[in-house]
Amino acid sequence: MKNENIVEFQNVSFRYDVSEGEEQLPLAINHVSLNIKKGDCVAILGHNGSGKSTLAKLSNSIITPTEGKVVVKGMDTNNEALSYEIRKTVGVVFQNPDNQIVASIVEEDVAFGPENLGLPREEIRKRVDDSLKAVDMYDYRHHESHKLSGGQKQRVAIAGIIAMRPECIFFDEPTAMLDPKGRKEVMDTVFKLNREYGITVVYITHFMDEAALANRIVVMDKAEILLDGTPKEVFENSDLLKSVGLDIPQCAQLAKELKKSGVNLPDNILTREEFTDSVLNLLGDK
Amino acid sequence: MIKDITIGQFFPGNSVVHRLDPRMKLVLTFIYIIAIFLCKNFLALGAMVLFLLISVLLSKISLKLIGKSIKPVFIIVLITSVLQIIYNDKGIALIEYGKFHITTGGVFTALFTTVRIVALVVASSLLTYTTSPTLLTDAIERLFSPLKIVKINVHSIAMMMTIALRFIPTLIDEVDKIMSAQKSRGADLENGNLVQRGKALIPIFVPLFINSFSRAYDLAFAMECRCYKGGEGRTRLKEMKLALKDYIAIFMLIAVCVFVAITNKLIVAPEEYSNILDSFVRFVL
Repeated sequence: MKNENIVEFQNVSFRYDVSEGEEQLPLAINHVSLNIKKGDCVAILGHNGSGKSTLAKLSNSIITPTEGKVVVKGMDTNNEALSYEIRKTVGVVFQNPDNQIVASIVEEDVAFGPENLGLPREEIRKRVDDSLKAVDMYDYRHHESHKLSGGQKQRVAIAGIIAMRPECIFFDEPTAMLDPKGRKEVMDTVFKLNREYGITVVYITHFMDEAALANRIVVMDKAEILLDGTPKEVFENSDLLKSVGLDIPQCAQLAKELKKSGVNLPDNILTREEFTDSVLNLLGDK
Repeated sequence: MIKDITIGQFFPGNSVVHRLDPRMKLVLTFIYIIAIFLCKNFLALGAMVLFLLISVLLSKISLKLIGKSIKPVFIIVLITSVLQIIYNDKGIALIEYGKFHITTGGVFTALFTTVRIVALVVASSLLTYTTSPTLLTDAIERLFSPLKIVKINVHSIAMMMTIALRFIPTLIDEVDKIMSAQKSRGADLENGNLVQRGKALIPIFVPLFINSFSRAYDLAFAMECRCYKGGEGRTRLKEMKLALKDYIAIFMLIAVCVFVAITNKLIVAPEEYSNILDSFVRFVL
């Protein structure tokens, strides 16, 4: 069962509705097929309007495909009767933390999901505490959400989703509105959920260095999948990426240029750690 | 200036007042507000103020915050007091200047009204200061749940209130940002007459409204993602159970109310009360 898919996009297309008389919009998603494996950590990369955010909303039946189907653990999202079960399995964290927090107090907000599920009080309490500990916000449980920093708010929003114990979470540009410190806090939390809690993570981003940390990268462009593979495979196509306005991570770019001018660096350097390690090695050799 | 708004704000704490059952707090505040308007003499009013003072001290809310809550009604208090002093001509005149005179009756009624309004505002602020918005709206939902019989969706109303209270600080921040943005483009918000200043607010409220709609849209998505489907089958994190302290609180308030009723019967109304003081003033003069 290792290769079980948790979410399957089967030849999915989606077009946003417009009011009558207006010109039809182009497809936001154009015949996309994509399988997300259980336990995987996938980054979806693309520019504004590439259709990547639409994928997140399609994943748990908030919107349903115009064509094709999305299957979550064998459940078709077109079947409205299943939407409740589907949302228990796949959670979505959105970009703006302010617009996702329902209650004024941190722990009351995290409790919102479990309360909707109709769980008994002790179970809600336990889930709220566990979730807040998982995102490292337990000490803030009695705080008012509007007084927290952006990164803290987003972690509360994540706790609100994990309190429902989903098997998979889609993150729709969770760091887009945050400062570098907040970005790091949130990304650390995202990877922790994947590694320590075994939650399947799909995160949508336009930051290259964030994408480089995933196991798999899917590059979207003009409503279609452009590239799909491991970070190393994807970033080898630097010219193709550049042609759609995306860049390879800075460190990878720098390593590539250094190699070109004759510095003896290994191939496939992607992250800052890899880069510093190999430079240190090189200096050590000399 | 806009950051001074404390309406509906909650200041977390762990005092007895914070831990009272929110339903009880709501009922207590309601009774208190009615009772303060039924007070007819200073003795009764004094007892009511004492009750409030004890509650404030027990809540450990700083007096500075309480003062902040009175600030917005200061003008109302000032106007009513001035009107009372000018137009009430009961009792003996303290100052007379042509048609204009200040009488003892006026001064007493003005003082009485001021205390009433301040107590009213402090009591209702104390409720929101010490009760989290979620608990407050939960309490409303429960207290009004009999209305379900007449097909009123109490849960939806309570949820709307929760969200409204939750978004007050967010929207205040947003107004602040928009104001700075418009000022940086040369908008003049401080000068001009009332009409001009009113017009200057339009470029602030238009973006605020548009943003609020997109926020509402996002929030609806986020709520659906968290399996929200209305009030049915929902459970709660926090239990509401009446405890001994709740009964003690209501007993104390009822005792104060009984005292108010008795003194209202026995002791004369403020107008007549002032007559007694009139004789005192005459004696001194």
